[in-house]
Amino acid sequence: MKSINVLLSKILLLLLVPVASCMKYGPSQTETFLPGAMGEGLFIVNQGNFMYANASLSYYVPGSGKMENQVFIRANGINLGDVAQSMAIYGENAYIVVNNSGVIFVIDPDTFSLKGSITGLISPRYIHFIDDKKAYVTDLYQEKITIIDPQTYLVTGYIPTPGHRSTEKMIQWENFVFVTCWSYDNKILVIDTRTDKVTDSLKVGYQPSDLLVDGNGKIWCAAAGNLYRIDALSRKIEKIFPADADGVHIFLALNATSDTLYYLNKSLWRMGTDQPATNPVPFISLDNRPYYGLAVDPVTSHIYIADAVDYVQQGKVIRFSPRGDPVDTLTTGVNPGFFCFK
Amino acid sequence: MTRFLILLPVLLLSGFTARAQDSVETRQLDSIRITAQSKLRDMGMQKTSLDSMELRSDVTGSLAQVLTRSSSLFIKHYGRATLSTASFRGTSPSHTQVTWNGMKINSPMLGMVDFSTIPSYFIDKADLYHGPSSVILSSGGLGGAIALFTSTPVKEGFSLHYIQGAGSFLTFDEFLHISIRKQKWSSSVRFYYVWSRNDYKYTNYRKKHFFYDDQGNVSGYEYPVERNKNGAFRDFHILQDLCLRGPYGGTWNVSAWYSATDRGIPLLNVDYKENASVRNNQNDNTFRGVIGWRKLHTGSKLEARAGYTYTDMLYQYQRDLGDGNWANMVYSQSFVHTLFSQMEGEWYLGRWMFSASITLNQHFVTSTDKAVISTQGEQSLLGYQQARMETSGFVSARYRPSERLGLSVSLREDLYGKELTPPIPSFFAEYLVSRKGQVMLKASAARNFRYPTLNDLYFMPGGNPLLKPEEGMTFDGGFSAQNNGRLVKCSGNLTGFYSLIRNWITWLPTFKGFWSPVNVRQVKSYGVEFRGSLEIDPGSNWKIGGLGNFSWTRSLNLGDPVSWADQAIGKQLVYIPEFSAAFTGRLVWKDWTFTYDWSYYSERYTTSSNQTRTQLDVLGPYFMNDISLEKRFSFPGVVLHVKAIVRNLFNEEYETVLARPMPGINYTLSIRIVPHFH
Repeated sequence: MKSINVLLSKILLLLLVPVASCMKYGPSQTETFLPGAMGEGLFIVNQGNFMYANASLSYYVPGSGKMENQVFIRANGINLGDVAQSMAIYGENAYIVVNNSGVIFVIDPDTFSLKGSITGLISPRYIHFIDDKKAYVTDLYQEKITIIDPQTYLVTGYIPTPGHRSTEKMIQWENFVFVTCWSYDNKILVIDTRTDKVTDSLKVGYQPSDLLVDGNGKIWCAAAGNLYRIDALSRKIEKIFPADADGVHIFLALNATSDTLYYLNKSLWRMGTDQPATNPVPFISLDNRPYYGLAVDPVTSHIYIADAVDYVQQGKVIRFSPRGDPVDTLTTGVNPGFFCFK
Repeated sequence: MTRFLILLPVLLLSGFTARAQDSVETRQLDSIRITAQSKLRDMGMQKTSLDSMELRSDVTGSLAQVLTRSSSLFIKHYGRATLSTASFRGTSPSHTQVTWNGMKINSPMLGMVDFSTIPSYFIDKADLYHGPSSVILSSGGLGGAIALFTSTPVKEGFSLHYIQGAGSFLTFDEFLHISIRKQKWSSSVRFYYVWSRNDYKYTNYRKKHFFYDDQGNVSGYEYPVERNKNGAFRDFHILQDLCLRGPYGGTWNVSAWYSATDRGIPLLNVDYKENASVRNNQNDNTFRGVIGWRKLHTGSKLEARAGYTYTDMLYQYQRDLGDGNWANMVYSQSFVHTLFSQMEGEWYLGRWMFSASITLNQHFVTSTDKAVISTQGEQSLLGYQQARMETSGFVSARYRPSERLGLSVSLREDLYGKELTPPIPSFFAEYLVSRKGQVMLKASAARNFRYPTLNDLYFMPGGNPLLKPEEGMTFDGGFSAQNNGRLVKCSGNLTGFYSLIRNWITWLPTFKGFWSPVNVRQVKSYGVEFRGSLEIDPGSNWKIGGLGNFSWTRSLNLGDPVSWADQAIGKQLVYIPEFSAAFTGRLVWKDWTFTYDWSYYSERYTTSSNQTRTQLDVLGPYFMNDISLEKRFSFPGVVLHVKAIVRNLFNEEYETVLARPMPGINYTLSIRIVPHFH
């Protein structure tokens, strides 16, 4: 009897010894990136997957062909967050808007190291700088645009947008900022940057997404599968260019001289900004898949098209020469969706 | 009676049916007959039955926890009261069909079941049908199927037990079970209520607090210690079971289960929003009711069931307006009504058993997002309203040509809406290699289909009414053995499986910007499952028991490449571990019971291309250790069980899902009170 009890007591003690423990989890390693040459370089913002928190930042130097992925986490040891939406450089800082994390990270664009962060946001989408003391931040869910101070990283005010809870892309013409109201909306709002108030609005097609202004002071807006050319001064729609009867999501870009419009609609198309109609054949034919982003180098007019492949793996970015010849294919993070030239 | 007792060994060995007389109504006889028929019914199948010991290990456990510990299923979850889905053999959660007292409970909108909403104390028996075996229960179980049962007590008289648990993070569990059994009827009613603030602390390695010097340069940093934000939950369940012996040998069963859950959806650890600025909540109200009738005849059995399910689910994502009011950012609500009916019969003719069933489910679904307002100011722009009838017919023949050999074929045919699935045939075989050790070889094969869910077809925006059903071919084979010695009892079951699923439905972005489901993937999965148990009864008031399972699962994407750049072909599916294992050890000495639970998953990839560069791409292997110690106190008229549980014994810091930090070491103390009524 005693021996059985001793034996079983030993078994009990053995059971207390962990079969296995110590999971691999904890801080991420960091590395130092040396300042690169200014004036050349392209940031690719990889959205990642919603609720996966796997957004990342890639950096590409076209001259050398050097590509670095996940530079934010490698430089700072923390995640970029959940759904990185956009990025903008102002002065010596780069601002990365991370939508579902509700944060804008401010980094040094040369070393990628974190300089600060802007919080107090709900669902930020894009940032637009008015001056050294003022920037606007649009939001997916709030009926207001947030005003922040780019130097102190603090929220300084709001611009109410009653009836429009989703504000998206912004462009500026003189003292006015034009803002698309994207999610289930059909308006472009006009904000007077001197008063920070909505002063006007235009009705366009359903779910206006992309927006830019060309060298002639014409605003281009993609909505409901159409291209809208709007005169910035009169705020009137000059012409509607039917682009796709199915109402696809269209991406826009301008060349270095802002006189040629590129739009990604299944294939890549281009047209002069004063052209009376769209071209009948695409500039670059692509396979029949939804691509995820478009950019044109503001200096060299090289074209970048983002391919999210199956949306849960590393994406690709294809670089084309201004003539439309493929030059490079870059491997990025998951869902490359936005480009920012340094 | 003697005649039947003499028949008992024959029945158990051969699986032949007892030709019982209607006039004999003892439960003992029914039990014999059901056991024998069950052996014939389960012939060749890969089935795991979880008994009440495994289901009732602690009051704080949902069925998700039990399945993690006691089965080879992969349960994806990120904490208590969070969405917990179950996958068999590397398939998706919607490939696991689940029935409750015979009625299918998979959401007709989503196709899956959230096992965190099923308290393990509300289930009396769970049968897991792996691979081809699932077609016996239902179509659509491309991975497998789970049959859950409740019952009334076996013991005559009145009984009651009450459990109260209090645990870390202000978690309180209450469970009350009252039951009564009389000669002609029995009844059981259960209540369960849990409330938790669930705001555990963790060190957030995904954020840094930086310190700056006078020049504004970073001089240092620390990882913030944060609390689980917005994770509070409250669940209430009530279940009534009633069993009535009707005239002419028929038995009636009624089960009614209502649950109300109110759960916060915790913020990610990369979320910088202030805790008070947003609310992210899901509220569910569910009622399930089934009435069943069963009659055993000489050599046959007839059953009929009818049921009703009601679910309303509200998901709200709100922001604080700063004036005490909240604005809806998402207000997604759905209402589901399902009518269910089923008839089935079994007939035993010599060495043959025949069975047939027909099942009808009529769904009515309304889904809306009231936060979305049209440009004309109208609400509920998004949503759909649909009804669908699902009919499933099933026939099977089982044949035992000799004592050692059993063969079975079956055929199922489904009609969903106006669409007919192709026939679903299945084949099962078993062979008893050795009576000593009950060494049994088993093999099975089945074709299977899963039709698209209502969200797949009609969700606004994105529903794709042109979707085809998913189609699977599955095969498995293995052996089982058991030894029931006086001192040592042990059993083991080793199975290899292979399956190929075509037209796998995946949601992908479209040209229009929103996501839509398409039949794109082909997935091959293969692997091995093992389940073993050991019980040692050395006497001297000691008992030792162990239950373990292990699985190796390769689940590979074999679809056509999306483009030349697609690196996902031939790779393991996202979030499916290649290896998983669990072990439960139990040591009993007099009135003391010590339990040790260990579970393991190998790394899980978060990208379809199985990248491993950073912690964003892969979740490291998961090891978890829990222990509990229980003491039974007997007093005149009452027995008390006091139990202390320590979870995450080694205070591991970890995530099971990206950006979802889990709690460190935590504790629960529970008291179970069982009064005696004489």
